Amino acid sequence: MDSRKILIVDDNADIRLGMHLRLRANQYETFFAGDAFSGVAEARKHRPDLIILDLGLPAGDGFTVMERLKQVPFLAVIPIIVVSAREGLSNQKRAYDAGAKAFLQKPVNDAELLAVIRQALGEPAATKRPTLDNQGSV
Amino acid sequence: MTTPTRRTAELPAYLSHELRNSLACIQQFGSILVDGLAGELSGEQREYVGIMLENASKIRGVLDSALDGAEQPLGECPSKIERASRLET
Repeated sequence: MDSRKILIVDDNADIRLGMHLRLRANQYETFFAGDAFSGVAEARKHRPDLIILDLGLPAGDGFTVMERLKQVPFLAVIPIIVVSAREGLSNQKRAYDAGAKAFLQKPVNDAELLAVIRQALGEPAATKRPTLDNQGSV
Repeated sequence: MTTPTRRTAELPAYLSHELRNSLACIQQFGSILVDGLAGELSGEQREYVGIMLENASKIRGVLDSALDGAEQPLGECPSKIERASRLET
């Protein structure tokens, strides 16, 4: 079975790398964008199965990305998980109103993030944490 | 023009954003090391990274407590009762 594709949209390169390592170890294929504009462009290009979206982004913000994705039918159906360092309550409500499947406030627990991803993708819950044995190649 | 009052009010949100992003990196890469995703650690190395992670978790707890509600923009901070009831629904 092909790997599920996940687009990570975050302006922090360290966060993108950390998520990539964790997701790759769980057999996900990852793509990246560091701003709102390229977030939409990379979504069009790769048609990911899921998007992890930060809210504070250059060239717009996460809400702008969600709004633009909604305007394109094949992108509007992609589940979005918002992972943000912004204040929780008001942004959480706004994110859900904009169509996000989940809102997680940084710093995010890896197990929680993976559980939310699996749920959004309709995959069964994991029974153990990833080890070296299930790492993909670079 | 940004007034001193406005700047003071926005400080918690700014601090929260910056600290949460840095903490996220510490926790992410610490757990990557502990889980052996960058190669197996010795028992001692694993213990030390574990100590780092525990302390990062403590900082997060302090951050959550200290900035609870204070990081909301002016005029958007609900009372504790409102916040609790929203979380329960």
